[in-house]
Amino acid sequence: MDILAVTLSAALAVGIPALATAWAQSRIGPAAAASLAEKPELSTTAIIMVAIPETMAILGFVVAVLILLRAGG
Amino acid sequence: MILHMSKVRVLGPGDRLPEVLGVVQDVGLLHLAQASAGPGLQPVELSGAQQRRRRHLRRILEDLDASTTALGCPEDRSPPSPAEPNTAALARVARRVRRTAEQLQSRIGALEEERELLEKYRPVFAAFDALLTTGSAWSQGRAYHIILRFGQARIGSLLREHLAESLGAEFELRQHPLPGGETAVLLLVPASAAGAVERLLSEGRVQEIPLPSGYSGAPAEAIPAMKRRIAAIPAEITARRSEQANLRGTHCARLREARAALRDGLARIEALPLSVGTGHAFVLEGWLPADARPGFTRRLARDVGETIVVEELARERWAAEAAPVVLSNPRLFRPFELIVRMMPLPRYGSLDPTPFVAVFFPMFFGLMLGDVGYGAALALLSLVLRHRSKPDTTVRAVSEIAGAGAAFTVVFGLIYGEFFGDLGRRWLGMRPWFDREESVIPFLGLAVALGLVHVLIGLGLGVASALRGHPRVALGRGITAVMVGLVLVGLLAALEVLPAALFTPSVVGILVAFPVLILAEGIVAPVELLSTLGHILSYARIMALGTASVMLAVVANRMVGALGSTVVGVVFALLFHLVNFALGLFSPTIHALRLHYVEFFGKFYSPGGIRYRPLTHWTPSPNHQA
Repeated sequence: MDILAVTLSAALAVGIPALATAWAQSRIGPAAAASLAEKPELSTTAIIMVAIPETMAILGFVVAVLILLRAGG
Repeated sequence: MILHMSKVRVLGPGDRLPEVLGVVQDVGLLHLAQASAGPGLQPVELSGAQQRRRRHLRRILEDLDASTTALGCPEDRSPPSPAEPNTAALARVARRVRRTAEQLQSRIGALEEERELLEKYRPVFAAFDALLTTGSAWSQGRAYHIILRFGQARIGSLLREHLAESLGAEFELRQHPLPGGETAVLLLVPASAAGAVERLLSEGRVQEIPLPSGYSGAPAEAIPAMKRRIAAIPAEITARRSEQANLRGTHCARLREARAALRDGLARIEALPLSVGTGHAFVLEGWLPADARPGFTRRLARDVGETIVVEELARERWAAEAAPVVLSNPRLFRPFELIVRMMPLPRYGSLDPTPFVAVFFPMFFGLMLGDVGYGAALALLSLVLRHRSKPDTTVRAVSEIAGAGAAFTVVFGLIYGEFFGDLGRRWLGMRPWFDREESVIPFLGLAVALGLVHVLIGLGLGVASALRGHPRVALGRGITAVMVGLVLVGLLAALEVLPAALFTPSVVGILVAFPVLILAEGIVAPVELLSTLGHILSYARIMALGTASVMLAVVANRMVGALGSTVVGVVFALLFHLVNFALGLFSPTIHALRLHYVEFFGKFYSPGGIRYRPLTHWTPSPNHQA
């Protein structure tokens, strides 16, 4: 398989979800910070909320690894 | 586990209510609740004198809190003296000490601010001193002390050219570089040329150094005054601190003791309206751990007398939602209550997930970090934290959780054969039992399999907790668990990981279970099922973070040979390992927490528990002393 296509696919598989995660976190982060300023007891919820979109990047990473391994195999 | 609670009712003669509250406070076990009024039973209202006393105590306590904070009194958890102090005298002392302590604190703060501000001028003083001593004395004319900001250095030469054109040789311009990249400029011109020079400076947007407030006049006069002031401030601060220390030595112990006694008194007054009475008798209600009830009854009988009756209310007469929650776990699991307490407490009668958190949280953490070197570093960090913390504090619990995480990290590090990445294999001859650097797919399978086990345990706990009150929900969760298992068996059979003969039975099982699931949980059941499958896949993060961690460690090690110089390479490698260690503490913690709170707790956890707050003697929060 064309190595360029494989690496590009893997990069897109992790890159696009990472951008989506970054966008989501950029919206959640300020909202969480604003909530914490008023209610510090929400810190756990805030951390969890900020961590939730990371699932996209993590699953993107898993898919990228699978693409690279499939191509390598 | 959540301790079994008893709701009790305490009855006695109305005039003995304050005495009973005192004993209840001494015992420190009864979580008071609003006693239920009924025929002939009216809520007890505070008398005018009691209301005045409550206001008075609150005012004194405000002064006492402010005084102890302003003086920096160390907290002391020794029990307060039982005698309530003379509040009139105490109010005067508290107000006076508060006023003096706040004045001292404010004066010290102002002096420190002034010193900090003047310290910023220190390089400027040095620069102008150098300028004044290197050239000839300029007895007549006007001096300008200018600071050119970084990037304005060219203005100095332009200024010199313009001045040479207009004044010829009748000026001196001396420059001295400052440590921050700015330039100190001393410009000396005849008094007659001052107007022209000021116009020139204004056009070049150059200003004389701004002097701090309180220093007026020309910089030539202000700078020596500022230098004298900066020399005098430390002695003034020391004198104020000494006054503060004297005040602390004289009053802290007394104020602390009085504060504890007054808080106890205030708590007793505020407990009065929770009772109901008939005019001759009172009724108090509250919860306490069921095991402690006989001891509580005996203590009241001994200290107040047989006129007091304690009766237990039957379980049917109170709602579980109203009962306070006490988490009680074996010593090994207790630090992990901190993780559960970070969420709203579980409701009374539901399940306490602490034992499961105590097993799975450090396991997930170790699976992700999995390195003997990082585990040893974390163990060291945990020991330092433990050494520096006091029992029953948050820091102590964190140190113990870190210790468990470190133990699992070392164990998985041995399994992976990792010691600061691949150094263990290269230097120590470690042999991996499971090479996660190479076996990415098996690692992914392991992570998802763990997710399956964890989510199925969650669903099982959900069935157990819903079985008593909500059998339909319990059925739905049970069927979901079965279907998750069937979907997995079907997938593995289709991929020929399991015998292909299992495929058809699993599909038939799914087709049979699906309508039952819809009947039990409604039309949202398919969405819930898909969400549960998504939750299981979410455990892939264990593999993703683990692989990223080992890759970063390997990259750090390769820096030693890749940067030409061994020394530079070692420094970079150490820095990279430090960053990886910091990331390795943060990311696995956040993701292990998330896996618990979202994926695991979501299957069974019932938040909304009320914190158990018995009427007891006041002590400062233990976390203030950590």
